[in-house]
Amino acid sequence: MVDTGDLQFLANSIQSVTSPFRSYLNDLYDKYESLNEGAVADYTPELALAKPEYFGICVVTVDGQVFEVGDCDKLFTIQSISKAFVYGLALEDWGREYVNTKVSVEPTREAFNSIVLDEKTNRPYNPIVNAGAIATTDLIKGDGATERLTRILNMFSRYTGRKHDINVPVFLSQKATGNRNRAIAYLMLNFGIVSDRIEETLDLYFQQSSIIANARDLAMMAATLANGGINPVTKERAIDERYVQDVISVMLTCGMYHHSSEWMYRVGMPAQSGVGGGITAVVPGNLGIGTFSPPLDAKGNSVRGIKVCEDLSKDFGLHLFNVAKPTHVLKDLIEGGDSVDRW
Amino acid sequence: MPKVVSVHSYRGGTGKSNFTANLATTIAQHGNRVGVVDTDVPSPGIHNIFGLDPENMHKTLNNYLWGESQIEEAAYDVSANVGLSGDSKLFLVPSSVRADDIARVLKDGYDVRLLNDGFRKLVKNLQLDYLFIDTHPGLSKETFLSIAISHVLILILRPDKQDYQGTAVTVDVARQLKVRKLLLAVNKVHSKLNVDALKQKIEESYDAPVAGIFPLSEDLVQLASEGVFCLRYPDHPISQEFRKVAQRIME
Repeated sequence: MVDTGDLQFLANSIQSVTSPFRSYLNDLYDKYESLNEGAVADYTPELALAKPEYFGICVVTVDGQVFEVGDCDKLFTIQSISKAFVYGLALEDWGREYVNTKVSVEPTREAFNSIVLDEKTNRPYNPIVNAGAIATTDLIKGDGATERLTRILNMFSRYTGRKHDINVPVFLSQKATGNRNRAIAYLMLNFGIVSDRIEETLDLYFQQSSIIANARDLAMMAATLANGGINPVTKERAIDERYVQDVISVMLTCGMYHHSSEWMYRVGMPAQSGVGGGITAVVPGNLGIGTFSPPLDAKGNSVRGIKVCEDLSKDFGLHLFNVAKPTHVLKDLIEGGDSVDRW
Repeated sequence: MPKVVSVHSYRGGTGKSNFTANLATTIAQHGNRVGVVDTDVPSPGIHNIFGLDPENMHKTLNNYLWGESQIEEAAYDVSANVGLSGDSKLFLVPSSVRADDIARVLKDGYDVRLLNDGFRKLVKNLQLDYLFIDTHPGLSKETFLSIAISHVLILILRPDKQDYQGTAVTVDVARQLKVRKLLLAVNKVHSKLNVDALKQKIEESYDAPVAGIFPLSEDLVQLASEGVFCLRYPDHPISQEFRKVAQRIME
């Protein structure tokens, strides 16, 4: 009488709506919606336009279940979040050994935009500081500027399962105010770290940080890494499985800028933050988290995003080195049929 | 722990809204805080029984679903209207009766997740003991959702072939959604039918208990949805039958 295939599908989609884990995320949203600390980034005029009240939380499991609350469709530019992922593409293009000769993987106490290279090797400290990200961008293969940008955009599409574009005003704004990055690039050219197609590489660098995404995309990107490089919804491979660990490692040590060590201690989830207000956090083998809230703390990380990740880590024992029994078992909460029993 | 009760029927005209109103009121009479949400967005009506005039509905479920208000702002305390007092509280979240509003929901749809979140907020913020969900006949998004989140699902049917068949479909869906407790209520049973035999036959066919059997009643028709029957005529056999069903839900 009833087609069980479609009925099963509809039943599953309703169950993800009524899942107690969604209720948990709703409570988390309510808890931090009123947190009005931090300030929206104003590095460029375009960034300063972001509305401080935007707030979205999305969690995607490696089984492809998507849970979201708040502004998960609001678009913003991913800024530094692109860096770890572009590093992954450079690794696929050249292999680990060669890439290591161009960029180190050492965290640094210097500012993310400092004009500093490793004194012995002349390499930038890591792929997340601007110098390192410019060097990895230089490594992206392709015949000319358009093909190189297309390769980067296609890579993000494999991670998120949808088409991506850049925000042209943000790109132009970053390019117009990017003299410091230009100086860094020329210094690296001097040491033979980057090739001489400086303007093209810098454009590509400004373009990749101007890529438009939303909180759901960030969660999907993290979930893809958590799932060994395969998008858990589209099942498409986004990155060679050998390099997943490289990308996650640099996120862990450098992804939260100067907050990285404390983040490791308190949250223990490899994550990458962007001054646009996004955070993408990976729980390997388990799930990906994407948050969006533009106000940043003094270290350049989203204030609400940090709080959300801290709570998720604490409540579900998601810290990489956690061995204690968590307050909630995530699997139970996601599958929990007795959702209303927690009302 | 708050309990969610959905009242559903596959076909229209089974007396679903009257049933919901009477059952919710009977349960409120036991000193409970009870909420009723009219999710029958295409054809709302239960507000009439609770004496809520559309002119006094400043916000409705529609406004909440469009992100224009909090769900609590669309909740009206109708306890005094129906004649409840003391700890007994009855709140109604009505759907809009404006043709324009109905058309807008039908045209644009709404996010079913909001409905779920709204139910939850309502239970929490109004400290409800029971939440009743009055649904649109047939199967739809809100039917699926309300079945999935309910502690008790009550399916109303008449002794009629079309109802029997439709109820079988709904029972299938409810089991697929892992319904916790399924009760059947038979309404509009004419006086010539053997009530015991009917009950036994229905329970066997659906493998679910029949919680109440209600006769086709002229007394109920006379009230014409103006007021809650079981409060007006507490000693009427119909009111006694509602108390029986209420006991099964409160146990």
